[in-house]
Amino acid sequence: MIDALLEGLLLVLQWKAFAFMLLGIGIGFWVGLLPGLGGITTLALMLPFVYAMQPVEGFAFLLGMHSVVATTGDITSVLFGIPGEGTTAATILDGHAMAKKGEAGRALGAALASSLVGALVGAAALALAIPVVRPLVLAFGSPELFMIAIVGIAFIASLSAQGGRGMLRGFLAGGVGLLVATVGQDPQAGVSRFTFDSLYLWSGLDLVPVLIGIFAIPEIIDLVVRGTSIAGDMPKGRLNQGALEGVKDTFRHFWLTIRCSLIGTFIGIMPGLGGAVAQWLAYGHATQSARSAEERQGFGRGDVRGVLGPGAANNSKEGGALIPTVAFGVPGSSSMAILLGGFFLLGLVPGPDMLTTHLAVTFSMVWTIVVANIITVVVCFLFLNHLARLTLVRGHFLIPVILVLIFIGSYSSNNHYGDLLLMLTFGALGYLMVAGGWPRAPFVLGLVLGKIAENYLYISVARYEADWLYRPIVLVLIALAIAVMLYPLIQARRIRSRSVKHA
Amino acid sequence: MKSKLVFMGAFAAVAVALPVGAVQSASFEGKTITIVCGFKAGGGYDRTARILARHLPKYLPGNPNVIVQNMPGANSIIAANHVYNVAKPDGLTIGTFNRNLVLAQLTNVSGVKFDQTKFAWVGSAASESTVLAIRSDLPYKNFDDLKKSGKTLVIGATGPGANTYDFPLLLKELLGVDLKIVSGYSSSADIMLAIERKEVDARAGSYSSLRPFIDRKLVHPVIRARAIESGIEQLPVDESFAPTPRARAVMALRSAPEVVGRPYVMAPGTPDDVVKTMREAFSKALKDPELVAEATKAKMELEFMPGDEVLKIVKEVLSQPKDIVDEFAKYIKFGE
Repeated sequence: MIDALLEGLLLVLQWKAFAFMLLGIGIGFWVGLLPGLGGITTLALMLPFVYAMQPVEGFAFLLGMHSVVATTGDITSVLFGIPGEGTTAATILDGHAMAKKGEAGRALGAALASSLVGALVGAAALALAIPVVRPLVLAFGSPELFMIAIVGIAFIASLSAQGGRGMLRGFLAGGVGLLVATVGQDPQAGVSRFTFDSLYLWSGLDLVPVLIGIFAIPEIIDLVVRGTSIAGDMPKGRLNQGALEGVKDTFRHFWLTIRCSLIGTFIGIMPGLGGAVAQWLAYGHATQSARSAEERQGFGRGDVRGVLGPGAANNSKEGGALIPTVAFGVPGSSSMAILLGGFFLLGLVPGPDMLTTHLAVTFSMVWTIVVANIITVVVCFLFLNHLARLTLVRGHFLIPVILVLIFIGSYSSNNHYGDLLLMLTFGALGYLMVAGGWPRAPFVLGLVLGKIAENYLYISVARYEADWLYRPIVLVLIALAIAVMLYPLIQARRIRSRSVKHA
Repeated sequence: MKSKLVFMGAFAAVAVALPVGAVQSASFEGKTITIVCGFKAGGGYDRTARILARHLPKYLPGNPNVIVQNMPGANSIIAANHVYNVAKPDGLTIGTFNRNLVLAQLTNVSGVKFDQTKFAWVGSAASESTVLAIRSDLPYKNFDDLKKSGKTLVIGATGPGANTYDFPLLLKELLGVDLKIVSGYSSSADIMLAIERKEVDARAGSYSSLRPFIDRKLVHPVIRARAIESGIEQLPVDESFAPTPRARAVMALRSAPEVVGRPYVMAPGTPDDVVKTMREAFSKALKDPELVAEATKAKMELEFMPGDEVLKIVKEVLSQPKDIVDEFAKYIKFGE
């Protein structure tokens, strides 16, 4: 085992594999920055180039590219409020709010440092999980996956504002999200739901145009109305030393970062949950760390913990997603599905063999994730403070560029004008939600979990009838969901009793 | 300014080339041919299109660029509508889409704005046979054991319209095999995992996608549809168990498009010589040793079926009597 671990590292550090990895990092860097152009599409486009490569080189190239995308995607999210990737949207809530307060550097520093921690945790999990991976993954059947989706939906309680009114709005927004997730043809009876005879709506709503609309459009309108730069008239002194401060934040809230990394890894391991889920659960968990009512209200207005959580989770999930891919030949995410094609091209058959005969290759993947993330984060830090200055550029110079990016970004998901209409529609919805004080996070959570919850509930009932409710892990998850729902109440009571003591 | 001139020039060239093209042999020098693929990047249709895009230029006169454009949505009806109604019949746009679109046309799915018999058919690049594969730790060796077992077999499926659902559905409804179809898995890979954890007992799917798991002895195939691929010739065919001619016809109708596993078309009205040139290029490219080596590595089995043969199958499907079509539509729903 230790031998294979070292051999894996040496394989990655061979000059050819290393050079391919650098190339991959370079491509992934830009793909992550540009909104809409996703890591999944790019992986598919790059796949033909690995025909002529050795397995280790091929994976260094593909994984190097892939593991960087979520890291640099955070940068776009923080600076402009546009999701650089579908999987980095949660970073916007607090990251972009920080940028508007003139703390872009700090937010970027925090996003990158937490990404690195997340990647390392994910890679460590991949390495540690190798002996126990099969029973671990097999323990989670459809009933368990359904319950994980329910636990996720329960996080709406934490993502909503405090008090009865805030909760009501949060759960209503979540409900609308669940409803929007039902658009398209249903997989049980083949009935078209909310498609209004439009072919575009048949396959459901694409996440990327929806996320771009709901998050980026309100920010652009806000920028136009204010007529200033993103950071407004904030004192400029703080921008330059910000990045280091963000790194310190990561260590100040180190356990939170680790916990969110573990959430990301776990969601990554579970096939069928998808990459968009991890960041939101981590964000929900981060808001639970608020110690007072004022702190809780600070989330969404630029609390660094709201950056650390999703920043860590969206990187750690990649290590997690590799686990089922390698061990079963069953991809843990859509990007892993394409990577699986890479396995065949390189002459490897994913499955139990990868944990025995080809163990060194498996470990070389772990090392690629580690090394690629370290390189990216170090390189990014060199010009992070310069990037942060973009938030001082006047709005009318930035807005045209941002508009072009979000239009292209949305359009690239299906190459269909419907993508643009979808983006604008949800842009309008997003603006109304912000203006009316409705939280957007529960809506998105409902949207990303809706289909998962529906399908796995159907499968559980069809397969086990009511018996699935008595499975031990399901019971544990039901308890967890209730705990997550009640947590804001407990939190509020604790805060109250503490303030009484102080008085 | 200059680019505008070139652009207009290109237009003029196309306009002139159309009538003249019928006389001269088609040349694609300096042109770009676009393969419009009805699915997102990364799937089987896309990978086939991309492998062709790399090797077609060698065999086309004038060595044009060939690129792939993904136009996903509505299970690729959007892409087919585009090639039929928008693309020019100049041979510069090739479409590849869901093989079951002919069934969508047959059952009058709303949104279909094409007539499969009027496309300029290049051909098909592969045949995709559907098999039912059951978990190897179950005591059933073959289809007969299964039928006689008296136990319900749980089948994992993605949803109506996919072969993971439709193939077992007909086995259940028409042959009376005791099956319970559980659908809603997000991909066939997810069903494989459900098989590993014994949540389901079997799944249907294309033989090529199941092969890695068959090789690993996780599952073994017990019955197949009519399309043949090497390795499964000996399996019984579903139609051979059909109790009535009508049941047999319904099964045949479901599997007919599988022979045309990867359809390739051009816009209706494309000049005959362009079609002929393209068919030849496809035929040669699919035998190209480099392409074959790449395809083998990617575990894809490609084989060309020329457009005229494809058209025969398409016409046969579309000329089924109404009672068979109605019967068929009772079970099969076109979908994702």
